[in-house]
Amino acid sequence: MEELYKILKELRPDVNFDEKKALIDDGILDSFDIVALVGEIGETFDVQVGVEDLIPENFNSVEAIWTLINRLRDGE
Amino acid sequence: MSLSSASFIIFLVCTISVYYLVPKKVQWVVLLIASYVYYLSYGFKILGFLLTTTVTTYAGGLLLGRLNDRKKLELQKLGNDAASGEKKVISGIYTRKKKWILAGILLINFGILAAIKYYNFTAENLNLLLGLFSDLSLPKMTWLLPVGLSFYIFQSTGYVIDVYRTKYSPEKNFFKFALFVSFFPQIIQGPISRFDQLAHQLYEAHSFSFDRLKYGIQLMLWGFFKKLVIADRTAVIVNNVFNDFYKYSGSEIAFAVFMYCIQIYCDFSGGIDIIRGVAQILGIDMIDNFQRPYFATSLSDFWRRWHISLGAWMRDYLFYSLSLSKPFGKLGKYARKKFKGNLGKILPVSLVTFIVFFTIGIWHGASWKYIAFGIWNGGIITFSVINAPNYSKVLDKLHINPESLYWKLFQIARTTVLVFIGRYFTRGDDLMSALRMIKRTVLHFDIKSLFGNVFNLGLSSFDLLVVFVCGLVVLAAGLMEEKGTNIRHALEKKNMFVQWSVLMAGLMAIVFLGIYREGYIASEFIYKQF
Repeated sequence: MEELYKILKELRPDVNFDEKKALIDDGILDSFDIVALVGEIGETFDVQVGVEDLIPENFNSVEAIWTLINRLRDGE
Repeated sequence: MSLSSASFIIFLVCTISVYYLVPKKVQWVVLLIASYVYYLSYGFKILGFLLTTTVTTYAGGLLLGRLNDRKKLELQKLGNDAASGEKKVISGIYTRKKKWILAGILLINFGILAAIKYYNFTAENLNLLLGLFSDLSLPKMTWLLPVGLSFYIFQSTGYVIDVYRTKYSPEKNFFKFALFVSFFPQIIQGPISRFDQLAHQLYEAHSFSFDRLKYGIQLMLWGFFKKLVIADRTAVIVNNVFNDFYKYSGSEIAFAVFMYCIQIYCDFSGGIDIIRGVAQILGIDMIDNFQRPYFATSLSDFWRRWHISLGAWMRDYLFYSLSLSKPFGKLGKYARKKFKGNLGKILPVSLVTFIVFFTIGIWHGASWKYIAFGIWNGGIITFSVINAPNYSKVLDKLHINPESLYWKLFQIARTTVLVFIGRYFTRGDDLMSALRMIKRTVLHFDIKSLFGNVFNLGLSSFDLLVVFVCGLVVLAAGLMEEKGTNIRHALEKKNMFVQWSVLMAGLMAIVFLGIYREGYIASEFIYKQF
C-alpha cells in the first residue's frame, strides 16, 4: 500500500489522500490524473486496469484503489 | 412538433393529465406511448431507425448481461483458492466473446449514423479525388437525417458499453427499455442521459406534486424566455449578416458573431431547460447540460460546462477507452523513454484529447467547417495541456497570482475570444465562408460602420434594447449561480407577492416579447439538426 501512496503523492502532491474519501465524486482527480494513475498502477503492480474498472467506487479513496489492485492481482 | 410550438403545449397538457390519472403501475406505459406519438409527429419514415437502435441495443445488452452472469458463476465455481492464472483464462474467454458482441452493436448503430451523416460528404470528397484519375464517381444520396438520431444512438450505445463493463445489469423488459431510448422530452436534442441515472425514474410510480408542477413550469418559462425572447430575436441579425456577409464590414460581422454566441447559448440551454422542466412535472429529474459556460476560464473548462452530457459521454466512452487501450499503452511507454520529463508522460493522453475534441467537432456534422472547428478546439486544448507546466513558470516569473480576480477575468476574456472565433466555423455556411468572414473581421474591421448601421442589421432599437436587457438578466442569473446562490430557493424565501410578480413578469415577457412566426409557431431549435 505504501507504493500506492507514493504514486498518488507524486501524481498530486497537493492532495491529502488520508482524508479524502470521494476523490472522483468531489472532482479531486480528473480524467488526466486517472489515466496517469492507471498507467503507474499497471507498471508497479503488474496488473491490467480495464476501462470497465473506471467507476467512481474504485477510485474514490486509497482503500478503494487498493482493493481494486488486489482484485485484479487475484485475476478476477 | 417543436418544443416551443403551441401543439407541443397541448400535447404536454394531455400527456400530464393522463399520466397522473391512470393507475401508477402503468404510468410508464403512458410515457412510452406519448414518446412514440411525439417522435412520430416528425414523420413515420424515421420510425425504422429508432426501432433498429432500440432492438439492437436491447438485445446486445441482454446478451452481454448473460455473459457477465455466466462468467461470474464460473469464477464462483472455481472458488477463492483457485490460481489467479486459471481465473484470468476464464475472464479472457468471456472478454473476447463480449468484445465481439459490443463491436457488432456499435458497428450497426454508428454505421447507420455515419452512413446518413457522413456518406454524402465522403462521397463528394472522394469523387473529387477519383475525378483526377477516372470517370468513376460515387452517387449522391438524398437521405435526410432522422431527428434525434445521434442523441438516442449515443444514449443507447452508452448503455450497452456500461453493461459490457458490468456497471449494471441489463433491462429485461423490452418496452421499458424502449422508453429509456425514446423518452419524449429529450429525444430530439438530449441531454444524453445515463441508464442508471434516468431509467429507474421513468419506471417508478410518481404522485402528483404541486411543488414539482411549479418548479417544472418555472424552469420551462426560463427556457422559453431564453429561446423566444432572446435567441429568436438575435437570430434575425445572425441570419441577415451570415447569409450576405460580403455586404458587411468586419465590425458588423463580429457583432453578428457576438449575437450568435448569445443565440446559440439561449437556444440550446433554453431548450434543455424546457426539457428538464417537462421531466420535472412528470416527477423525473434529468441531468443538467450547462453550467454557465461563458464564465469558463479555459477552453477545456468551457467544454466541461457546455453540452456537459456529450463531453461526459466522450470522456467515459472514448477518452478512457482510447487512453487505456493497448496501442496507446505502448505509445505511452515509448514516449516516456523517448521524451524525458512531462512531455513523455502526457504525449499519449494529449493525442487522445485531440482525437476527442476532433470527434466532438465532426459530431456536429459532415463538413470541412466542423473538421476545422474540431481542429481549432482540439489543437488549442492539446497545446495548453502540453504547455501547462510552462504557464506556471511564466506566471511565477511575472509575479501573477493565479487565484487573483484580475487573472480570472483575463482568463474568462481569453476563453470568450477563443470560443468566439470557433463560432465563425459552426455558423458560417461552409469553411471558406467562415475563413473569409474571419479575414474581413481582421482586415476590414471599420468600427464606424457598425455604429452607423447597427439599427439596419435587422433589429430595431427596441429589439436591440430587449436583447441587451434580457441578456443582462441571463448574465445576472448566471453570476448569482456561479457564486453559489440557488435562485429558486432564494425566490422561495420571498413572500408570495414577489414570487408571483417574478413569474408573471417572465410570462408577460414571453407573451409580449417572444418572437412568433407562422401562426404562433416559434422557430426550430438549432441543436435539432445535430
